[in-house]
Amino acid sequence: MNTPDKKVPHRPVEASPMPVTPREKKPDPSPRAIAARTLYFGAKSSASMEFPYWYSRRWEELEGEIPIIRRAEALKAGFAHLTPVIYPGELLAMGKAAYLRGSFPMPWLSEAFFMASEDKFYQDALQSGKLTADTVTTMGKGGGNVTQSVGNVISIAGKFGLRIEELPIMIEVAKKWKDRSVDDVGHKYEQLVPGYKEKEAIMRSVICMFDSGYTLPQGREVMNYYYPLQYGIEGIKSICDEGMAGVAGYPDMDRLYFYRAVRIMLEGIQAWIRNYAAEARFLSTLEKNPAQKTEYIELAERLDWIAGSPPRTFHEALQILWTFHVAVLNEDAISGLSPGRVGQVLFPWWQRDMREGILDRERTVELLECMRMKFTELDCFASMGVVGGVLSGNTFNNLCLGGLTREGNSAANELEILLLEAGIRCDTPQPTLSVLYDEKLPEEFLLKGVECTKIGTGYPAWISNQVAMEFLLKNYQHEGLGPEEARAWSIGGCLETHPGSWMPLVLDGETHYIPGGSAPATSVGVHFLSLPKILEVTLFDGMDMRTGERIFPPHGFPLNSYEEVWNAFKKYFSRAVEVLTLTNNIQHDAWRRISPSLVNSMLKPDCLGKGKDIGQMGSRYNTTFNVETTGTANLVNSLASIRRNVFDSCRYTLDDYRKAILANFGYHTAQETGSFSLTDQVPAEHFDQWKRIHRDCLDAPKYGNDDPYADAILKEWEDWFCGMTRQYRSLYDQPLYACQISVSTHGPMGAVTLASPDGRLTGTTFADASMSAYPGTDRNGPYALFNSATCWNHSESQNSQLNMKIHPSVVKGREGSRKFLELIRAYLRKGGFHVQFNVVDSRMLREAQKEPEKYRGLMVRVAGFTQYWVELGKQIQDEVIARTEYEEI
Amino acid sequence: MDHYCNDCKFYLPVDVFRGICKLSKADILPEDPFCNRAEKIAKCKFCRQYLSEKEFLGKCAGRLAYPDMVATTCTEFKWVSPN
Repeated sequence: MNTPDKKVPHRPVEASPMPVTPREKKPDPSPRAIAARTLYFGAKSSASMEFPYWYSRRWEELEGEIPIIRRAEALKAGFAHLTPVIYPGELLAMGKAAYLRGSFPMPWLSEAFFMASEDKFYQDALQSGKLTADTVTTMGKGGGNVTQSVGNVISIAGKFGLRIEELPIMIEVAKKWKDRSVDDVGHKYEQLVPGYKEKEAIMRSVICMFDSGYTLPQGREVMNYYYPLQYGIEGIKSICDEGMAGVAGYPDMDRLYFYRAVRIMLEGIQAWIRNYAAEARFLSTLEKNPAQKTEYIELAERLDWIAGSPPRTFHEALQILWTFHVAVLNEDAISGLSPGRVGQVLFPWWQRDMREGILDRERTVELLECMRMKFTELDCFASMGVVGGVLSGNTFNNLCLGGLTREGNSAANELEILLLEAGIRCDTPQPTLSVLYDEKLPEEFLLKGVECTKIGTGYPAWISNQVAMEFLLKNYQHEGLGPEEARAWSIGGCLETHPGSWMPLVLDGETHYIPGGSAPATSVGVHFLSLPKILEVTLFDGMDMRTGERIFPPHGFPLNSYEEVWNAFKKYFSRAVEVLTLTNNIQHDAWRRISPSLVNSMLKPDCLGKGKDIGQMGSRYNTTFNVETTGTANLVNSLASIRRNVFDSCRYTLDDYRKAILANFGYHTAQETGSFSLTDQVPAEHFDQWKRIHRDCLDAPKYGNDDPYADAILKEWEDWFCGMTRQYRSLYDQPLYACQISVSTHGPMGAVTLASPDGRLTGTTFADASMSAYPGTDRNGPYALFNSATCWNHSESQNSQLNMKIHPSVVKGREGSRKFLELIRAYLRKGGFHVQFNVVDSRMLREAQKEPEKYRGLMVRVAGFTQYWVELGKQIQDEVIARTEYEEI
Repeated sequence: MDHYCNDCKFYLPVDVFRGICKLSKADILPEDPFCNRAEKIAKCKFCRQYLSEKEFLGKCAGRLAYPDMVATTCTEFKWVSPN
């Protein structure tokens, strides 16, 4: 590695002989949850073909049928034929597929990957048989990912295992969707957009990470469980019957088909639930243990009941919630389907069960731990770049706590305290938790949240209720959203502010207004524009120097001033947004025609009322398309460096910068060194030639230090970006808005970006999130970082994201908790939208990188989500290690 | 025809590599041979309607099918011979 005098001038996180400081001790989960988690830790992500087989078979049988009816029948066939699997000790049953971490491909969205990989799969199948069973044991590295083909199992993209017996049918089913999938149809028509070739070049250069239309057509939104909770499935079918009777033969016949389609789909869900009930009964006949036998019988009774009727108890309500959550996940490739404010939705049943002695707090926590395990078992089978590069295998089911009631009072309740307790005891990545922070929330509740964050779970995230409501009122007022309804919001996915509504739940004659999501996906629009890469292409007049490909036409600016650099950057950024908005609109149009949402549409107000699915703007609110960016801190720091060194002090020319960038400041690339953080880079032989300019780039003003020079650049960027997005129109003719989270894109997007003017080296990972400082560059403490981050109005954007790393010793004990809460408050009171913490000693992370098998349960916060360390890619691991670790607050 | 644990109605799949025996609660592999308590689970390959065409592919009433699909939820399933 580096010699001492040639180290990158950057504050490193050194391995030290000091012992690792552990996180605070926490109570264990229930024995039932321990057993479930042990089973989970040993289970691999597994794909099956049942659902896609039956879906495709039924679809093919109904050639010529009305498309939405055809879709409903296909979904019904998929649900009705899923093999039920129930694991010992489960109090909540049902899953996506017949494995613990089961999922399945959806070739109706995109089949190209399977067909393109056909030969490779068969080669793998031949080779895998030659490997010994011992090889399986090496797969602990990578957690539950099936990283290679072994024995009778084929690895799909290093993540999912598929039994060899299902490989031929996967290929054959994929072939049936050629030229018919959303991907293929969308691709056919997006080529009609003028500038389509630019779009392709943008994607090849990874200026943009992925097409949202067929990869994740739904998600980053909040569920709404109101209808099944209030009416039960039979009740919803009756609503459909009444709907059909009211519209049959009248104009706008799409309503008739929608109601009919929902009814058909529900029949499939009923069959699916009843198949699970039958399996529970079968298991009860085999069971010798009386307690387990009783549990199977009770499970069967609960499932049979909820297959038709609304819940009678908290337990039944929780089972309905889970069942419909999975049902939505099975209708599309979805990431970030958030359950929302579960503690408030289920509170009426919980309160009644507590009053009647059906439940106590310990049993509640046990049930909530079971819920955590079910959410953690979820896998998302989307395209590979998305699952690995963007999602890090996470599914982003965000459960929110706190916020305000319909009347504007604190909405925090006792059940939410127990949700936090379950999150502490059963620390698993899903569902991640977020506190919708409001000044009205009680101290006891907030301190419970801090207690949870302190143990290193990475949750709850801390989010400003007021900033979010302000954003919603700015962006949804034209659709009728007012201050009262703004309070019903919640987080969808990592950090996407999502509008909700208050639905009147009647229980025992009393009306409770429960919050739930009332808009479709926000995983739609222009997703992940790499800001440092666009700046790089700007400096090279439209060329991607990594590949030698021209991306944009020459911008026409001589770049003789900082303003010209800034204007040229804006020109390319705007062009990318323009062409990607148009092509994505076409992809989403293909999606809503070929694969319209039925389960989610049925759940979302006001689709059932209007008789329209979400693709026909049946939802109450529809302004959900956005433009997402990555690499904010590197963009700001790079612009500050150019402004300072090229145009203010004139120490260098832009040509000097270009040469230094192409030479990677005299270092080997990250790909060559195998490490993706700046701290670990290795000088090459011409290092000395670039040492001075690199030093000056690193020493230029940096975001995160309360330095007006850099902060003014951030503010100028934010003010422009948040405004410019509104010029573009979504498929639903609504304006777009800004969205600023990185998820995991800062790894792969950094990997394809040359060195940047801020001193970052080629291939290294960008700063995470949007408000996080670049690792090691925030040297003035957390409050300076807060001042920098809040120099602009966060309510102009759907979100912003700040992740911090704090040493466990800083927040130790009760006093540490209070200090921690004050730190959080300070940021949110300044107008910050979101802050989240990794409370961890970095040395522990380094040890975990060396010996992952000893750290199977270690979790870290990445960017809007918590994930098991061993399931993260090395790019992200290196970046989390390198983050500035605050040792005092 | 040899039968393996994943052909058994008491096989509970955990993932593509392993499962649990519903009777003994023991960890088992899908490729383990049938034990004396094993009973066949409904699978396409045990159905009268299934016609094998090549390895891992066949037809069910003229439609594409595959032999190892569990058919406990298929209303058309008819045993070739029960055990």
